[in-house]
Amino acid sequence: MDLLAQLNGLPGELEERLRKVAGDADLEAARVDFLGRKGRLAELMSHLRDLSPAERPAFGQAANAVKQRMTELLDERKALQEQEREAAFLAGFDCSLPGRTLWNGSLHPITLAMEEVCSVFRSMGYEIAGGPEVETDFNCFEALNMPPEHPARDMQDTLYINDKVLLRAHTSCVQVRTMMNRRPPLAIIGPGKVYRRDSDVTHTPMFHQIEGLLVDRHVTMADLRGTLTAFLRAVFGGSTRVRFRPSFFPFTEPSVEVDMSCAQCGGRGHIDGQPCRVCKGSGWLEILGSGMVDPAVFRSVGYDPDEVSGFAFGLGVERIAMLKYGLTDLRMNFENDIRFLHQFPV
Amino acid sequence: MLLSFNWLKEFVPYTGTAEELGEMLTMLGLELEEVTQPYDEISGVVVGRVLTCEAHPDSDHLHVCTVDVGAEEPLPIVCGAPNVAAGQLVCVAPVGATLPGGLVMKKAKLRGVPSFGMICSEREMQLSEDHNGILVLPETNRSGRKPALGEKFVDAYELDREVLDISITPNRADCLSVLGFARIVSAYLGLPVTLPSFTLEEKGEDMSGAVPVEVRDGGLCPSYTGRILKGAKVAPSPAWMRWRLNAVGVRAISNLVDVTNYILMELGQPLHAFDHNRLAGGRIIVREAADGEKITTLDGQERLLRAGDGLICDAEKPVALAGVMGGLETEITGESESVFLECAVFRPRSIRMTARRLALNSEASYRYERGVDPTGMAFALDRAAALMAELSGADVCRGICACTPQPWKAPEIRFRRAKAEGLLGVSLTDEFCRRTLESLGCTVEAVSSDEWNVKAPGWRYDLTREADLIEEIAIFNGVDSLEGTLPSIPQVLARFGEPEGRHAFMMRVKHWAAGLGMNEAVNYSFVGNRDLDHLGLPREGRVVIMNPLTAEQDVLRTELAPGLFQNVRQNISQGASGVRLFEVAEAFTADPASDTTVREVRHLAMVLYGSRYEESWAHADEDMDYIDIKGIVEKLFAYLGLAKPSFSMAEGHPYLAPAVAVKLADGREAGVIGRLKPALADEYLARKAVWYADVDMDLLRAESSVSRRVFRQLPVYPAVKRDVTFIASRSVLVQDVLSAVSGVKTSLLEGAELLDVYEPKDSGSRNITVRLTFRRADRTLQDGEVDKEREKIVSGVVKALGVTI
Repeated sequence: MDLLAQLNGLPGELEERLRKVAGDADLEAARVDFLGRKGRLAELMSHLRDLSPAERPAFGQAANAVKQRMTELLDERKALQEQEREAAFLAGFDCSLPGRTLWNGSLHPITLAMEEVCSVFRSMGYEIAGGPEVETDFNCFEALNMPPEHPARDMQDTLYINDKVLLRAHTSCVQVRTMMNRRPPLAIIGPGKVYRRDSDVTHTPMFHQIEGLLVDRHVTMADLRGTLTAFLRAVFGGSTRVRFRPSFFPFTEPSVEVDMSCAQCGGRGHIDGQPCRVCKGSGWLEILGSGMVDPAVFRSVGYDPDEVSGFAFGLGVERIAMLKYGLTDLRMNFENDIRFLHQFPV
Repeated sequence: MLLSFNWLKEFVPYTGTAEELGEMLTMLGLELEEVTQPYDEISGVVVGRVLTCEAHPDSDHLHVCTVDVGAEEPLPIVCGAPNVAAGQLVCVAPVGATLPGGLVMKKAKLRGVPSFGMICSEREMQLSEDHNGILVLPETNRSGRKPALGEKFVDAYELDREVLDISITPNRADCLSVLGFARIVSAYLGLPVTLPSFTLEEKGEDMSGAVPVEVRDGGLCPSYTGRILKGAKVAPSPAWMRWRLNAVGVRAISNLVDVTNYILMELGQPLHAFDHNRLAGGRIIVREAADGEKITTLDGQERLLRAGDGLICDAEKPVALAGVMGGLETEITGESESVFLECAVFRPRSIRMTARRLALNSEASYRYERGVDPTGMAFALDRAAALMAELSGADVCRGICACTPQPWKAPEIRFRRAKAEGLLGVSLTDEFCRRTLESLGCTVEAVSSDEWNVKAPGWRYDLTREADLIEEIAIFNGVDSLEGTLPSIPQVLARFGEPEGRHAFMMRVKHWAAGLGMNEAVNYSFVGNRDLDHLGLPREGRVVIMNPLTAEQDVLRTELAPGLFQNVRQNISQGASGVRLFEVAEAFTADPASDTTVREVRHLAMVLYGSRYEESWAHADEDMDYIDIKGIVEKLFAYLGLAKPSFSMAEGHPYLAPAVAVKLADGREAGVIGRLKPALADEYLARKAVWYADVDMDLLRAESSVSRRVFRQLPVYPAVKRDVTFIASRSVLVQDVLSAVSGVKTSLLEGAELLDVYEPKDSGSRNITVRLTFRRADRTLQDGEVDKEREKIVSGVVKALGVTI
């Protein structure tokens, strides 16, 4: 067979070979066999000098065409193999494989609840204030209109360090410290730990409160109601209703307990004919205590109650967390079981 | 405070239900806890007449009776009570009725005789402890009506079936009696109050001087009065009184004592009945106790007194702890015949101090601590005397023995409607304000068109200031009817540009730590001294709680470690394989310079234990180690924009080994990292290494607030890297090698970092591989110049540390 016929037969042979090719290595071997330095094409080309000068240009052209054709065939085959591999990968892809678990970081539900409350008040323009957890009797009680023999001290069974120093029983001391150091107007929110000498199913000896205080000229009780309604709606949803009930706190007058419509049953008091377990059928939940700052408190920090007025409120963070997240056991908050903590990922 | 609904209705014609009343009182600041039915359990008991009563043929103590309960046929009932007799009116629990304790009456046979119910004793109905025999009912009830046979006992005898449990805030001294509630209901609903009617018949000569009363301290006792009753016969009180007292939680004792309790509950005036004949010298002296004086109170306890305690004395000895509890020696006994009935007012402060110190809370002290109405004394004394006379057959002697060193004077209070409107944010009319104040018993006198002078009644100890009156106006106007408004919040220009607050900083750190994958823990601030001792923490500087709840919570934590280690324990015991917790909280140490005597420093503490990753198919099962915790601390510094800290071995740490001090670039100590000593780890069930870090966040916050983030231009030309492995003895630290590298003077080295540490077995040495990075800012480096530099560095390190390559 003459050289040209052999040359022109190469693409056909390669096609034949490629039909049997399996895998990348096989394909590469075929390429080397046909297009390699010692391959079939090279071998034929080595006979070029045996041809007459007249035959050479045609042979050269044919060789180029054959080379191009074979390169195309190899590329096609390569593309096909890649397609097949991709198809096989996609066909065998298991989307159900569990993701690689990184560390599941979390914030404590008390922190989450506290931040939610704080952020609502920050957005209203309140600033965060703080104070020490170990406080003087003066800041915790006396400045708040609770002299030593005041019956209201029954309500605060307090842990003492010595006769004059105690673990703060409420965050209201933050009010006192702030007012002592600054002049009105003031709009502050004071989150923190508080302590009572009380431990049972519904009380832990340490818990968290948030104190709020607004002092300015002409602050009214209607402002208090508006502010707390706005806050409770921001945290518990726009349909939340608010109820004020008269109450007593030594540092506010008038004082009110604030109830909100039960977030569980929507204030209806029952779910599917059964009494709501969260509000015990009443439709209301006690959520915080508040009132207009007592003139005695203003006097003890050197403000003139005829010049300024203000409101103050204090709420329990655990209570908010329990209502928001459905926590049932207070003590779980302080066991720090990671199965509990993992439920509050950030 | 337990308020009988029936009793209240005797004072005020309220027509709603007990629940409606409770709701109304709640919205008036008197919160209803619940409405109870104290006699609900005996509502099946009926009134019956014993028709016949024969001895049981086979028993020496049982009786076979027939009892008419209004049915066609009388009920045969076998009764074991010794006092049962034909003709008696009795309480019958017929078959099907229930009794307290859930006992359901069934048809029974007692020694062969069938019985269709039970004739009840008071104890069986939980009316009293009396179980001496069956209860024999009076022929008429309290109102004089004859009950029908078969009528429900609780209805027939008008028992107090509904009782409201109302929680009273400490300011509402006026609502510690039926009368107090009647006044509020009357004021709010505009209903009249009817005081109980009685006839007091004084007998004999004027005895007002017979027991001279001397009050030595008007500050303790503004007014003291008493009456003498003679010829009393001590006996049980009539049924209606016992059952009523029982309904509101007061145990009946005897007619004289029960009257004092009855008046206390009804009018809120504490009374005390002395055995007149046992008052030595027949006189009363009210004075302060001297330090160390003693009295034995009614409950048989000897009480050691202090100066300031109020005492009632006779001519020789203390006979009562004023306003708190009577003395044992002069108490009314079964033989008492002559009574001195005390009706006094004491100052709240003194009573409170005494009751608190002695932990002696009586119904009397509870009221005196809050304030007893001085204007109600006379009525209460007369009503009590009349009732005692009626129940005990005593004669009330003519005249009142009294001493009133400080007669009551109504406080005068300024009231401005405009002030009330301004504080509440509502508009009010003069007419409404006046009507409200007057309905509460105040007198109102206009001083000018916009200012009134208000006098509060004696029972309202809580009304002394304008704010108190405004509160009453607010309550009667309805605090729940206020329309909410949103105040504009004052903004102060100076606030903007202030450094980040402590709270915001700590929150940022918490978010960072959680984002890194740790779980936030919150532990109690107090631990036990034992916990601190276990970790070998110093005893000095601890802040001890004076009145701890338990020994496990008797000291404030000086470090966060005890809590976090306990959390590790908790999680191990729950089967956790890996624990990564952090806590941001205060550590407390004594500091005499602080105004609270305590220094509070906010710390970030972290603990790592066990598996580095969750038990999961995609991770190698490896435990966390030193470089995990150290990496976190390094990252924290970077996050806060601080220079890299230095780490050096810390000697003598109480609970960590190794313990590594974390220092700021300037050498100040900022924290510690280390492994809990294995000997201490057993306590926390930890079999693997517990890695711990503690950083002073107040310090880092201060440092972070002055650090600035500065951008550096990105390099233009590529870096060339060369890895070098040094073979070093075990005493050479990685840091030594890196320091030696940077100690060699070169111009091309950009940085050096540890690439690998390999410890060939049994060689006693380590292979430390360091990656050197070379770069020039102005051109691309040539291989040759880099190799030259590398050689220079290697020989420098070899020379400096005696290592090989």
